[in-house]
Amino acid sequence: MGYVQDTHMSQYIPPTLFHCVTGTWTNAAGAVTGTIAKHVAAADQTAVVNIPILLPSNSSALKGAYLKSIEVDFEILIAACDAVDAVINKVTRGADTAVAVVAAQAFSYDTGHDTAAERDDLDQHLMTLTLTTPIWIDNDVYVLVELTLDQALTTTIDLLGAVANFDLKV
Amino acid sequence: MGYVHDTAMSQFIPPTAMMGVTGTFTQAAGAVTGTIAFHRAAAAQTSVITIPVVLPSNSSALKGAYLKSIEVDYENLLAAATSVTFALNKVTRGADTAVAVVSAVTVTQSLTAAAGAETQDQHKCTVTLTTPEWIDNDVYYLLTMTIVAGATVTNDVLAAVANYTLRL
Repeated sequence: MGYVQDTHMSQYIPPTLFHCVTGTWTNAAGAVTGTIAKHVAAADQTAVVNIPILLPSNSSALKGAYLKSIEVDFEILIAACDAVDAVINKVTRGADTAVAVVAAQAFSYDTGHDTAAERDDLDQHLMTLTLTTPIWIDNDVYVLVELTLDQALTTTIDLLGAVANFDLKV
Repeated sequence: MGYVHDTAMSQFIPPTAMMGVTGTFTQAAGAVTGTIAFHRAAAAQTSVITIPVVLPSNSSALKGAYLKSIEVDYENLLAAATSVTFALNKVTRGADTAVAVVSAVTVTQSLTAAAGAETQDQHKCTVTLTTPEWIDNDVYYLLTMTIVAGATVTNDVLAAVANYTLRL
């Protein structure tokens, strides 16, 4: 029954699904009324946020979702961060009794975020991470985007969401 | 390459994806064993629960998901609320260095806010877009559930289900 190869698929990932470690994180209204955000309070600290990339997978080779890039919408408020960095981790699930295996994937930042100074400045950000080699999402793997947010003493951050861009072949 | 046009697609949105503002919210077991819920504790206040509509989108016009309605399963417990009102916001993501832009989408809800949706009971309220919309890759949708509550009522939101047409 049929065959689809759509190269323009995207998936919104809400901030409520983000995993945040270090810092005081709350679900809060965004700076723009009607938006929602994962908010970290001001503190001189380095927080780590993992964004689960929720895409359909497929146990057949070369089918399902072919992840190409991830966009992250966030706002650095009050003061610039000291640093903002991203990593794309592919997690191969462990078999029963075995641990998972994590492999960092090569990627590039968009031209507006390919220097440290562009990523950590006080502003609204739409940061695109493009995989050097896109990956098919097998049913035994999932992908996490890890953001390391090195805040200055007065910096607060609102994470608004993420969007994964992928090909769908089914 | 191929063509799919399925008008009967639905997507479960779990309560763990929901966000509450104003009130004390917890992730809790539902009233029926085996269910999970986003729970609001009793307090006389107006609380807003935001439900992200997690659907695939598409950068091609007239493709991807065509959002038609959203059903919300919830329970008003211990007492009736004053009202339960739904609204749908379309968020157009900001370009880099720009803020997002929010616009209200015209909807109708199957249960009247203060004459059906607020009663002490289990509820399934369907929120229907007056004009269904294709979801572009630059936008997302947030459904808000505003609960005007008296001192006693608690609320469990069990799930939402988005109904859409999928065209690929």
